[in-house]
Amino acid sequence: MVDAARQPLIEVKTFTEVEKVEGFVGNFKVTLREKSKYVRADRCNGCGACTKACPVEVPNYFEMNLAPRKAAYVPMSQSVPLIYTIDMDACIHCYKCVEACGPLEAIDFSMTDVVTEEEIGAIVVATGFGHFDPSVMEEYGYGRFPNVITSMEMERLNNSAGPTHGKLIRPSDGQAPKSLAFINCVGSRDKRYIESCSNFCCMYSIKNAILVKQMHPGTDVTVYYIDIRTPSKGYEEFYDRAREMGIKFVQGRPAEITEDPVTHNLFINGEDITLGKVVEREFDMVMLNQAAVPQPDQNHMSSVLNVAQSPGGWFMEYHPKLRPMDSPTDGIFFAGACQGPKDIPASVAQGSAAAARASRILHSKTWQIEPTIAVVWPDRCVSAQGKQCGLCEKACPYGSIIYETGKAAEVITAKCHGCGGCVGECPHDAITQLHYTDAQILAQIRTLLATEPEKKILTLRCHWCSYGGADLAGTSHFEYSANERGIKVMCSARMDSDFIYEAYRLGAGAVLYSGCHTQDCHYITGQIVGEKRAKRLATIFERMNMSPGRFRVEWISAAEGDKYARVVNEMQATLDAIPEDELKAEIERIKPEVAKRLTRLPNVPGVVPSMQHIDKVVDVMLQEVA
Amino acid sequence: MNNIDDPNSLANRVKAIPGGEMLLYCYSCGTCTSKCMIQTKQDEDFNPRRLIRQAVFGLEEEAYNDTTTWLCSACDLCYPACPQKIHISGVINAVKQLAVESGIKTSLKTAVVDTSTCVACGLCVAVCPYEAIKLVDTKLAFRGMLPVATVDPAKCMGCGLCGAVCRSTSIGLPEEYTDASVMHELWSWLDAEEAQ
Repeated sequence: MVDAARQPLIEVKTFTEVEKVEGFVGNFKVTLREKSKYVRADRCNGCGACTKACPVEVPNYFEMNLAPRKAAYVPMSQSVPLIYTIDMDACIHCYKCVEACGPLEAIDFSMTDVVTEEEIGAIVVATGFGHFDPSVMEEYGYGRFPNVITSMEMERLNNSAGPTHGKLIRPSDGQAPKSLAFINCVGSRDKRYIESCSNFCCMYSIKNAILVKQMHPGTDVTVYYIDIRTPSKGYEEFYDRAREMGIKFVQGRPAEITEDPVTHNLFINGEDITLGKVVEREFDMVMLNQAAVPQPDQNHMSSVLNVAQSPGGWFMEYHPKLRPMDSPTDGIFFAGACQGPKDIPASVAQGSAAAARASRILHSKTWQIEPTIAVVWPDRCVSAQGKQCGLCEKACPYGSIIYETGKAAEVITAKCHGCGGCVGECPHDAITQLHYTDAQILAQIRTLLATEPEKKILTLRCHWCSYGGADLAGTSHFEYSANERGIKVMCSARMDSDFIYEAYRLGAGAVLYSGCHTQDCHYITGQIVGEKRAKRLATIFERMNMSPGRFRVEWISAAEGDKYARVVNEMQATLDAIPEDELKAEIERIKPEVAKRLTRLPNVPGVVPSMQHIDKVVDVMLQEVA
Repeated sequence: MNNIDDPNSLANRVKAIPGGEMLLYCYSCGTCTSKCMIQTKQDEDFNPRRLIRQAVFGLEEEAYNDTTTWLCSACDLCYPACPQKIHISGVINAVKQLAVESGIKTSLKTAVVDTSTCVACGLCVAVCPYEAIKLVDTKLAFRGMLPVATVDPAKCMGCGLCGAVCRSTSIGLPEEYTDASVMHELWSWLDAEEAQ
């Protein structure tokens, strides 16, 4: 931090909130609110005279409220920049600090927040994580029993700059504890609170246990755990060292902590599952290794930055394996635990990667994006004729469409990621997606259903998940029906209802509408748009009395090759179960009904010539086959 | 140990019974066992975690003959403590049902009904915490086809609530727990005190 502050090209803005982020990659406009410190940065020399003079004491949040601080303070002695702050919620306006500051005149009670707008090329988000509050778990008695503390409190008690100068003491009587228990997975791996594993706590409790053992040999240290996870380099050796030092590891999650009200000693009644026995033990002090949770204002930041959140509340990365430091929005990157709990080496690696990714943007004059962007035909947009619509704007997960009644919708190309949701949603076919135009996809449908369409299973797959699933089914040699014919689009949101109607108009036996699971969608909320449309289509076909199973909606991830094969085989079985003449009669009955819904299709630019061309191609193909 | 994919594996049969659905989520943390009152106060060998493990791995004989299967009173102290939200007493009950189906009888002394006096008022049905009693049409000597209380020994835990509420002393626990023998024991204490 000190190095960063000294580097002339880095400007450190502390006590500053990001209020608004507008624009797009390379051209962000960020509104910052620099909160008033009531101390002028250009005059304060960090002498600390104001703190000495201040008569007000409040709990110090940096010391986990274990020690007091003054109303005129710095959070810690290594703060960067070393400029004092007046806590206005606590200040009693005695102005003793002003007197103490004397001729420097750094303290200025008339200061107000400064709101500035800055032009930013790329953003790295490193907002970190919060702590699970174990007081909601009544069984562990945190908050009721003074000697039950959290890992962060332990951290401060063990720190030589902490409130006890590194002396480990029991909060109840100030004595050094002779026996100490650590409980892992408090709140984490727990379906009642935080379902996921917090990643680093195993190592963290081992570290704290070793620290205690080094500083106070003779202390009896026990770690209660469900599983010890030591996956990185050198971690298992560290665990070995802890056992070598005589730290006891007990596999088993204690159900309850009880307290002796006189001595404030604690009793843990826990099953040692390796012995299969419940063992009751008495401890002087217990430390709870609480779960890592997203920052309390993570939801707010997520809407300010327009980046999605994964289940659990962490910021969602572009791709969990290939682009873990990129956000789905170009030009915004993640570093550290804001994207998911991780330890220091992983945070540093991600931070360096994010910085490198950001500098790539800053050093480029132009920026390449995916070519599959959306384009509006302004003359076809009904908004230009003064009608209310705005469906495209609602479908866009990136906010890249500017919609205003009276003007044709406009796509901000730099923000468009090419899911095609707006194209699928537009009821007037006024938007198209480059490389995935209606004409191109309809031509594919027509080719695939050129012969014996009633035997074919037409599948629409999204690029990222169900296409990958189909691919995996192939490479894993999962056998599925040879009547399957697949078409790839970028997202299930692009799967226009027209495609499915056209397939049935051409007499397709069955159609599969497939994409990612909601939480895996590559386009933040694209799958939700696709799912809504799929449900609507399903009810339409139900009303047409189509045999159940001929139109199917399935969400298949890229890892679910077996599911893809199973679904296609099930659809084949459905088709086989319908007698041939009945199926043909049904197809013929439905053809005119879906054709009614396709009357506007020939007006879409490019569709008619494309159809004429493809008909010729198909004819030639069929002749060659014959 | 049997294959878990087999629909007839113990795990899948337990999962099919209401209450046993979450079985495979158990990661064996031991919270249930440390929380259990029967384990801590009554029987050291009682261990719900071990029973779940036996069910997962299909150790049928061990599971059916485990004291945990038969002694759990479904107090559900462990249910809110379980980090995986497994309804442990539901799983135990499912194992018990399968054990009963395979012909194993509970070692508990379960409630018995005197069909000659039962009037099918239904009080016992209402109070039974284990839903072990039902009114079933039964052919009775000299009385013909009538509904009477019928106890499912697989569900009865022998608490005796039914005996306490019955107005015609038609239902109750057998042997040393009948009304008569309990009264007899009480009187014998009083007599002993008087003699002193």
